[in-house]
This record gives sequence, structure tokens and C-alpha cells, in this order.
Amino acid sequence: MKKNIYNLLILIAGIAILQACLEETPRYYDFESYEFSSLDENGGNWKTILVSNPSEILLTAPDPINSAAYQAELGEVKNMNASLSSSERRAVEYWTSNPVVRWNEIALEMAAKYNLIPGPNADGTYTLPNPANPVGPPAFPFAHPPYTSRMLAYLSVAQYDGLVLAWHYKFQYNRLAPYRQDPSIRPAYPENGLPSYPSHGAVVAKVSKEILTLMFPLEANVLEKHYQEHLKSMLNAGINVSSDLDAGIHIGEEVVKLAKARAASDGMSKAQTPKPISDSIANAAFERFGWKWQNTETPQRPVGLTPLFGRVKMWHVPTVEEVRSPPPPAIGSPQFEADVKELEGFARHMTLDQRRIANWWEDGLGSYTPPGHWNKFAKLSIVKNKLNPLRSARVFAYMNTAIMDAGVACWDTKYYYHYPRPVETIKGFRTILGTPNFPAYTSGHSTFSAAGAEVLSFFFPENAQQFRLWAEEAAVSRIYGGIHYRFDATEGTKQGKLVGTYAVNKAKEDGAL
Amino acid sequence: MKKFYSSVVLLAILYLYHIPSLQAQMPFDEIMMPKGEFCVAGIYEVSKWNQYWEGDYLRGNANIGTLTRQMLMPMVAMGLTKKINLIASLPYISTDASGGTQVGQSGIQDLSVSLKVDWLQHRVGTGRILFLTNTHISTPVGTYLSDYMPFSIGAGAPEIGMRGIAGYKLDNGLVFRMAAAYLWRGQTEIERAYYYQNGSVYSSFMNVPNALNIHGAIGYWTLDKRLRLEATYMSLNCLSGDDIRSYNRPQPTNKMEVSQVGIWTQYYIKADRGFGAIAYFNQTISGRNMGKAASLGLGLTYQFKAY
Repeated sequence: MKKNIYNLLILIAGIAILQACLEETPRYYDFESYEFSSLDENGGNWKTILVSNPSEILLTAPDPINSAAYQAELGEVKNMNASLSSSERRAVEYWTSNPVVRWNEIALEMAAKYNLIPGPNADGTYTLPNPANPVGPPAFPFAHPPYTSRMLAYLSVAQYDGLVLAWHYKFQYNRLAPYRQDPSIRPAYPENGLPSYPSHGAVVAKVSKEILTLMFPLEANVLEKHYQEHLKSMLNAGINVSSDLDAGIHIGEEVVKLAKARAASDGMSKAQTPKPISDSIANAAFERFGWKWQNTETPQRPVGLTPLFGRVKMWHVPTVEEVRSPPPPAIGSPQFEADVKELEGFARHMTLDQRRIANWWEDGLGSYTPPGHWNKFAKLSIVKNKLNPLRSARVFAYMNTAIMDAGVACWDTKYYYHYPRPVETIKGFRTILGTPNFPAYTSGHSTFSAAGAEVLSFFFPENAQQFRLWAEEAAVSRIYGGIHYRFDATEGTKQGKLVGTYAVNKAKEDGAL
Repeated sequence: MKKFYSSVVLLAILYLYHIPSLQAQMPFDEIMMPKGEFCVAGIYEVSKWNQYWEGDYLRGNANIGTLTRQMLMPMVAMGLTKKINLIASLPYISTDASGGTQVGQSGIQDLSVSLKVDWLQHRVGTGRILFLTNTHISTPVGTYLSDYMPFSIGAGAPEIGMRGIAGYKLDNGLVFRMAAAYLWRGQTEIERAYYYQNGSVYSSFMNVPNALNIHGAIGYWTLDKRLRLEATYMSLNCLSGDDIRSYNRPQPTNKMEVSQVGIWTQYYIKADRGFGAIAYFNQTISGRNMGKAASLGLGLTYQFKAY
């Protein structure tokens, strides 16, 4: 019997060893707060994207540091800073000195949570998510790639413009951080010379909470919780006093007003059309080209995904027509047949490497979408290069506006040509990836990715080759997945690259170089 | 992950090494074979479902239609000693959906090796009380992807299971049997670097939940112990995990639960050596994050004395 117990112990020990060998499954990017590679003292003069007249957003001067009010605030921070509970310490570590990264991650998580396509009702009809009744079912929103690209664009632009204003007043009023006023306050993050009034963290917290609540109304409580935790963490960290936060919140509020006004009138509310309009778009293409895409699900969805997303207001491209792709090869043409043959070949035999590429880039339903994938790349480069929050927001803002512009351009092309998917043109064709609910040409993944790569290559030239390789891989992944012809991918990459250069040209002249 | 697999193998070796100084057929039944006895078997199983549980909501999905899963499983069992039997199996599985446009998957699934130990046989009344254990270890072989659910052919994770089997075997051929196993499951490597499981996960590994697995049977041996008939019950309950999200596909992290009732018959053509045949049928009666499957299995066994 002793022997048996011994054996059992070995088994238990073995399981414990195996448990220790498991890979981590992190919920966020765990990085050490770092010293910023630059402070950008002139950042307050950089050109904003959304705010057309930054001098109209005013911030009154702070109380002098020898005032009773300020000294009381300083005392409050000193007390908090000296007696952190373990959960407060965790929050301080979580938010880091670059909270732009965390709010971006929160946005991606919400995109993944809401990226669920509504299923059919019992009678075979479909109900669309409705912002007037966000609870649903189905819940609002369906955070598909166009929706997510737009959500990220507004979030990043509001963060960036708010931070430009914050930088402007920081260096105008030059009030140093609490830990510089009182050496007994120990900053939780590496010290920097940034004036603390207004708090840049509070700007980011305020605009992020408001924009994300607009985009994900059912998450209002969760966002409020993140917001309060973030604000408190800045006092606990000894980097701001409460009037710094209030000033940041004020700037955030002003920027959010402008962002909301633009979002209300950018055409997104009309992007998901009723069936008669959708049918007329399809028929127009059929008359022009002799083909039209149709949804292949059972029961058939009456309308494709956001047929008029191509009409939504762009950020950097004056008219969508100038970035519309040339016509695709006609069905039955030699190039079409060659590309079909290629698809049939992959379906017959796929290497493990091809399968891996198709899945790594799938970014399909339930995921953070291709724009999310590129935000992850941006985040890693931002941390690697130790960018300050202002520079980080600038990267996200130009990349996400370029990615949204790419989505608008791609969707315009998709519904203009209305090109059928491989499962429609190839008899009996079956795929490893699900076929999306919109026309094939050009490939969204290719367009989003090439635009993202173009902007990231501008900001991080040392990694340009890698970004462009990734964009190529994202494009080709859709061919391996069986849901795009090669010409969808090739033309999509060209289109994304072209759209990306509009954003890069703006960034080159924004005064930040 | 390589490190992980080598430790699985190491653990198996360690465990096997320690067991022989102590004093079969299916890993969950009470049957033992004498030392030197060998049984080889081939089992074909087909199972189908056209409804599945999304969380606890039973639904159909016309883009899957009916999902058919076929399995061909070679198996060997051998009597290492009178009290210790070894069982190994390696199934080939293929899946196919009648609806939608997505392709089914096929390939070799998991190699499973288990040791069954007969601990106790005690006469009580007009029968014997039995207690056995079965310890198994299984690991995916080949290159199948667990993340193609519901088309994927397996969970893609290593598994270690400890099962206790208790029974009462009457002299008149009636058998009552209950088996309970704890299944420890490791991780499955997927090809995405991000997935959602009640929040973001930045990893290409998914934790497959541990599970409790129950088998119950009332059996009857007749025709000079050549025919075995059983009414069976099986349940598997993951102890953690998330639900399939609305109209979304399943993934290996899901909290899967299933219970089935079935019948099992086994016929030895000539006593307990030589050829035998197996037939069984199982019907899923409840579940969570699983298909409501009915499955039919047919098998051929051949038993002989090797040494």
C-alpha cells in the first residue's frame, strides 16, 4: 500500500510539473514603465487632426504652488502616495506612465467582445443591431472591421488632439509634478521633466472613456470603472494633484464635443442600408459589369455589410474616387481562370505554413479585427521605442485614420464592382475560413494592412521592411483561406498603400519632425 | 511547448517505471486479461448532430447543417500481468458539414496509452466486488488544428486521467459498474496570437479545461460468457471554461458538458479467444457547448495468447 501511495504522489508531482510548464496567457501587455525617449517641449504646436482651431480650447492658469489650495492638494497626494494598498499598487503598475497603450487595449478588447455577427431569427429573418436599443438582441454594436476601424480612428484622434493641447498648456504654465515639489513623494514611474498641469493622463482617460462609451454604450459602467481607477492611480503614483486631473478632464471634454459632432455627421449612420438601396447598388454593378455578389449564408442575409461605408467621410483623402481600384478581371477571363486555378490548388493541398498564415491573420468574428492586429504592432513599437504619450497617440492617430480611410476606400471599391466570392464562382468550393458578408474585390485585410504598414513604416523606419512583409502576408493569407482571389489581394495592397501615403504626407507636415 | 511534450513523455516513463513492482479492454470497464494475453481491435464510429448547445441554448445552424464525424480507431490491449493491463489507441477522425461553405477536417488524433490495475476482488453474497483503476495519458499526434471548431478533430491538448472503477459482478452474469475519472488537460497550441475568452488573451495557447468523466453501466453476460450486453451512461463535465458566444464558433476553452445514454454489445465468437465483435449506440441527452450527437460504433476484436 505504501508503494501505491508513492505512485500516486509521483503522479501528483508530475501533474504539478506539467502545470508549471504551461505557457502564459496574458490579458494585457506587461511592460515596465519607461523613461520617455523625448519630451517634445514644442508638442503643443503640432498640428491637430480633428480640432481645427486649438486656440479656442482654453485652460485657465493653475493656482500658484505656494497657494494654500495647491499645498492642500499636495498634502493629499503625499498621504496617498505613502500608503498604497496592494490593489492600488497593482493599478499604478497596470496603467504605467503611458496609459495610451492601456486605453488602446481596452478598445481592442471591446471590439473583440462585440465583433459577433447577428444570427438569424427563428423565422429566417435577421435583426440588425440598433443604437436606439443597444441591449437588443442583437446587442449594439456589431464591431465588424469597418466599425472597429472607425472606433479606433475617433479614439486615437481625440487622444492625440487632446494631448497636443495638454502639451501646449503644460509648457505654458510649467507647473512641475508633485514629486518635484515635495521630495518625500516617490513617483511610481521613472521621473521626467514634464510639467503636470494639465494632466495628460486625465486627458487620455476622459476622451477614451467618452469615445468608447459612444461606440460601446453597453460598456458604460465598465468604462467608468476603468476611468476612475486610472484617475486615482495618477494621484497614487505621485505624478499629479487633483487640479491637474481636473484641467486634463476639461480639455478632454472639449475635444470629445468636437469628436462627437464629427462622428454624428460622418455618414456612418447611413452605411448599413435598407434592402431596396442595397439591391439598387447590386443591380447597378450588374448592369455595368454583368455580375453581382450575393450573400451565401443560409438563410441568406438580405443586405451585405455596410454597403455605404464607402461614402463615410475620410480623414486624409479628399474624394474616395481618387483611390478607387481599377476594374477587376472579368469572370471567365484568362487572369480570372488562372487565379481560380491557384485557389483550387491551395484547397487540394495546403502546406502547414500556408495554413498558419491563413489562421494567424484571420482576425475574423470574435476577434479584434485586422485594424486591431495593426494596433497591436503599433503598441509593441511604441513601447520598444519608449515613446511618450503624445508621440504614442500620434502614431495611433495617423495609423488609425489611415486604416479607416483604407476601409472606406476598400468598401467603395467593393460595392462599386460588387465582385462575387470564390465560393460563388467555383462550383462546390469549400474553404478553411468563413466567407464574409460583402463583395470580394478588393480585399479588406490587404487594404487595411497595407495602409497600417505604410504609416508604421514612416514612424518606425528601422522596421519598415517587417511591416511591409506583414502587410503582404496579411494579403496572401486570404488567398490561402479560400475567400479571396489573388487580384483582390494584390489590388487591395496597392490601394491601402496609396491611402496610407495621404496620412503620411499629412504627418510629415504636422510640425513634429 | 517542446519542453512541455518532453515532460509529458518523461512523466509517462516515470510512471510506467514505478508501477510494475505492484502486484483489458476499454479504459472504463472492469474487464481484465490474463498475463500474456493480447487483444487487437478496430472500431469504426459514426456520429452526427444537427443541433448544438450554445452555452445552454440548444440551436441549429443551417451553415453547418448536419455535422458528421467518422472515426476509425485501432486499439491494442495486453495483459502485462494478471493484475495489470495496458491499453493503447490511436484514432483517425474526419468531419464534414452538410451545410455552409466551410471544409471539414481529417487526420490522426490523439495517441492514448493507459494502464488498468486490478486492486480488489472480494466475494460478497452471490458475487464479487471489484475495484480497479485506470490511468491514462494521451497526446495529440500529427498536425491537426484544434481551433477549427466545430470542424476540428480534437481538443489538441495532452491529457492525463485518473479513473476509479468499482463494480459488483454477480455469479448469474449481472454486472453493475461505475467509473469516475478526473481528466487533467493541458494547453492546445493554436495559430492565432490573440483570442477572446471573457476578455482579451494575447497568446497562441488555449487552456483546455479539466473535466470530470463518469461512466455507468448495467451489464449482463450470457451465452456461456460469450455475449455481453450493457446499458450505459456517460457524462463529461468541464470544471471551468467559457460559453460559446452568440452565433459564434466554439473554441477549445469552452466549458463543454455532455451526458449520453447508450447500449453496448460484445460477442466472442468462440469463448474469450479469437474473433469478437462490438456494436454500440449512444445518444446525447443533455449538454453545453457541444453538439447533440447520436453515435453508432462497430468493431472487430481478435484476442490471442502471445506469451
